Amino acid sequence: MEKLTNALAARFASPTRSTRLTVVLGRWLGLSFTICFLTGLLSHGLQEPPSWMFFPTRPVWIYQLTQGLHVTAGIAAIPLLLAKLWSVYPELLKWPPIKSVAHGLERASIALFVASSLVELITGLINTYKWYPWPFPFRETHFWLAWVIWGSLLLHIAVKLPAIMEHWRARPGRGPAGASGAVAPAQGFNEDAPLADDGVALTDDGAAAPGHWSRRAFLAAVGTTTGVVVLTTAGQSFSWLHPLNFFAPRAMGTGPQAVPVNRTSADAKVAALAGAKDWKLTVSHQGTSRSFTWAELKALPQYESELPIACVEGWSQLARWRGVRIRDLVSAVGAPPSSSLRVTSLEPEGNYRIMSMPNVYVQDELTLVALELNGETLDLEHGYPARIIAPGRPGVLQTKWLQTVEVL
Amino acid sequence: MKTVKGPKVTTPARAGNAVKITRYVLGVAGAGLIGYGLLGLPTKLGPAELIGLLIWLAVAVLLHDGVMVPVSTLAGAGLTRVGSRLRPASVAVLRGALMTGAVVTLITGVLLKAQSVARILSALDGDYAANLLWFWAILVTLAAILIYRIERAYRVERGGSGRGERQ
Repeated sequence: MEKLTNALAARFASPTRSTRLTVVLGRWLGLSFTICFLTGLLSHGLQEPPSWMFFPTRPVWIYQLTQGLHVTAGIAAIPLLLAKLWSVYPELLKWPPIKSVAHGLERASIALFVASSLVELITGLINTYKWYPWPFPFRETHFWLAWVIWGSLLLHIAVKLPAIMEHWRARPGRGPAGASGAVAPAQGFNEDAPLADDGVALTDDGAAAPGHWSRRAFLAAVGTTTGVVVLTTAGQSFSWLHPLNFFAPRAMGTGPQAVPVNRTSADAKVAALAGAKDWKLTVSHQGTSRSFTWAELKALPQYESELPIACVEGWSQLARWRGVRIRDLVSAVGAPPSSSLRVTSLEPEGNYRIMSMPNVYVQDELTLVALELNGETLDLEHGYPARIIAPGRPGVLQTKWLQTVEVL
Repeated sequence: MKTVKGPKVTTPARAGNAVKITRYVLGVAGAGLIGYGLLGLPTKLGPAELIGLLIWLAVAVLLHDGVMVPVSTLAGAGLTRVGSRLRPASVAVLRGALMTGAVVTLITGVLLKAQSVARILSALDGDYAANLLWFWAILVTLAAILIYRIERAYRVERGGSGRGERQ
């Protein structure tokens, strides 16, 4: 078996691999995973807030930024993860695969890390395409796997810290030493061998490795690839990159009234209810309730807010919304503006049919029951007859097709 | 006599202890977070969903380790033969262009598959296949221009200096 794995290792040998290469790639990947983890926690906290949760509302594009970063860093992590795994591939072929209990545990933790990272990135990407070909719930799995991945990252750093420290900085004039052995040197090539002036790897006997590329060139290619996938997809989240948006599932300025749509009226089965002539929005507080027709809402003082709608899938779109301040409706039923709300949609079913709105949004002068979008009456797909728009909230909490607002 | 204080020196033993403590803290924190995540999954996923997730985890690793890396290694071996006639800078451009093209194609391939099965309003409505073709056309053109210029510059330099051997 050892002969077989040695033969395979020889087949997969490459002078480009080194501990230094792995450390550099690990730094980039660790950064992108950390951005994903922290921004993902914020998004999760906004949707399922713990008692201590804070709700940032300024700048108004805060969620547009954090969720755009979340998805963009996740996309950037795809080439970085592939390159990082490639750099340590010979580790898979070492024999015996498990040398001790401690080594076995370390190998198991790496297997969990690799498998979780691959599934997290693949499903995360496909989720932005609104395609769900897996037999488990996306949001819950994405959240809990994120803890596994970030925990695995910390554990991996703990195990490899000596090698990471040793190879943190480049050593000019010579190849990186492989003393701590984060990566097995490729057979036929020596990690301690010098590099040529242009950084190309050299073989044991000092001859150039024709046709191969240097570690520096490999890193430059990984950086370029990462940059390209970011630049050609991040335009769905950041308007200044919109002209380069060739491969993102969403594009700014598309959809009814030039704003993309996530959940359609057909998906939500609301077309008949939302179009009913007797539609009213009911606002209630401690036994008091008032119902407003669309015309009555329109007769109340109208305000305009320029706010982005920002989706958990990373796309966002700045738009002009016009309607009634939610705090004015709360006052209309005698409730204080520091109230929290429960808002219900006309949707007969769905995870986000009922939405809780903490008081920080209720008090905010920019939070509206919107009746118009970009100067026109709301399109049915954007929540006609009325919808919520608030600063800094995930799109799924900007409830469309309003039915009731209860003051809690 | 004035006493001049020298730079603070960290002894190897002290640094070694700091590394040990850091590793211990990171290791315990990491193991704790892994446990938190693994224990959290069954609170939201049923048995069939957990089995489905396990299958996805296993298949992801098998596809990566058993298909992607071997295929990319084979491609790399082919490039080594092709690239052995080129300057190192040209080899880097060739391999880098193919790496970028392969990753963009992989991501766009999934996007095209999603487009064929999950079309919804105002999403996935780009002409991604055409965009991918244009992307490859630009990538190949840029790489070809760069490689041509690198090789030509080398030949001019070699002709001028009269040296024939590769550096």
